[in-house]
Amino acid sequence: MPKLLIVDDELDVREFAANFFRKRKVEVTTAVGGEEALSILDNFKPELVLLDIKMQGINGIETLKRIREKDKDLKVIMVTGKKPDEDGSLNICQQLGVLDYIHKPLELAELEKIVMGALK
Amino acid sequence: MVIDYKKELEAAAKSMILVHEPDVLIRMIVRMIVQKVEVEHAGILLHQKEQDSYILTVSRGSAGLKIPAGFARVDTDNALIRFFKEHKDKDLFGDGMLVLEAARNLLEKDIAVELKELLQQALYQMEIFEAVVCIPSYFRDELLGILILGSKKGNEKFAQDELDFFTALASDVAMAIRNAQLFSELELELDKKHRLFIHTTIALAAAIDAKDHYTHGHTARVTSLSLEITKRFLQKNKKALDIKFLEDVNIAALLHDIGKIGIPESILNKEGPLSEEERKRMQEHTLIGVTILQPIRELEQAILGVKCHHERYDGTGYPEGLKGGQIPLIASVISVADAFDAMITDRPYRRALSKEEASEEIKRGSGGQFDPEIVSILLELYREGKI
Repeated sequence: MPKLLIVDDELDVREFAANFFRKRKVEVTTAVGGEEALSILDNFKPELVLLDIKMQGINGIETLKRIREKDKDLKVIMVTGKKPDEDGSLNICQQLGVLDYIHKPLELAELEKIVMGALK
Repeated sequence: MVIDYKKELEAAAKSMILVHEPDVLIRMIVRMIVQKVEVEHAGILLHQKEQDSYILTVSRGSAGLKIPAGFARVDTDNALIRFFKEHKDKDLFGDGMLVLEAARNLLEKDIAVELKELLQQALYQMEIFEAVVCIPSYFRDELLGILILGSKKGNEKFAQDELDFFTALASDVAMAIRNAQLFSELELELDKKHRLFIHTTIALAAAIDAKDHYTHGHTARVTSLSLEITKRFLQKNKKALDIKFLEDVNIAALLHDIGKIGIPESILNKEGPLSEEERKRMQEHTLIGVTILQPIRELEQAILGVKCHHERYDGTGYPEGLKGGQIPLIASVISVADAFDAMITDRPYRRALSKEEASEEIKRGSGGQFDPEIVSILLELYREGKI
């Protein structure tokens, strides 16, 4: 089974997204923030990380930077509540090499397509 | 547990009367569905005009099934939306909803290819939301939202009275949204009219200032001082901030000298003292102001301020020689503010006084020219550095 790490500080989002992808035969682990995500990474070895940008503590961008220090090629999809590039984060994410940059609210069918496509 | 849905609906209708915000109401409805009918989850996709998209704004239910509010959207070209927008629900099922099982059965049957395709795509969207029933909320022809329901706990089928219950709630949702929309449109409209009114008043006030060279900016200053005095007055008399009264003071102060439009400029701008005849002519400006504003019924209170702002507390003022408590409060306020501002600005016949000198002068007029209560408020504001 492909492995997905979901990083979001909102419990409802973690629970919903985890359930959503488990039903699509994906092995899912969730992390409440950047710190936890980084500590999970080595053992879990996901193929893809779904990473929320706006989080308490270490935010998504910072987490992405630290992920890149460990692993240059890990597939990461950023999730933001803002309109694309409203806060200039799109640019930074692109420089740090992300697979995609999606913003909430999102079409679930689109989320499914992007994530499942990346895990194939 | 058997639920009397009619009773529940009545209870819901009763609480809806008390709730004016659609958000609160919709949350209430979704919560009621989850509790009373025991569905795994329920949510509502609401049309957001700005994004032209349907956003899942409220959702409740079991962990993992409940979709977080604001997380998911469905665009207008999405099959689920198209299905309801094109009223296929009514065409196919007659009852204005999309029930997964019935729809699947229909797919087995011989229906038009295009319709079959749309239905298939709509069902795929339902599966993604883990929805078993979708019920649209329309206002006239506009699709305002879609109520999304997960399966019943224990996977039981929904009974007809339950489905009827949902339909009734969905139409309540539509009504609530529509009412709220109408209400906010109305508020916007009123606000626009109100601003137009205030700006018209300000324009009128500017017309007076333009005519009277020596009073440049006088109207604006009298208005702001009158408002300060009034606010303090209401505070001191332990009256809640009376918006309507403040509004009247605002208008009356802006228009207090409107009658000067009817006074010749030769008198208004005369350098040197006025003759007895000129003085009498000048005094007419209060009643001319009343004549100008009289046709506007809404200005009844403000007109009192315009009419009586030259009355004196001791009864020797004009136009009617009212005394003490006979003088409307609004006029007593403007009278003090008007005199204070006149003193601190240059006039053709004298130099401006300092604020200190002017407040001394006002104090001397307490009980004579001015209402002592208003004078003490002005002095208080002066001591506090507020004016």
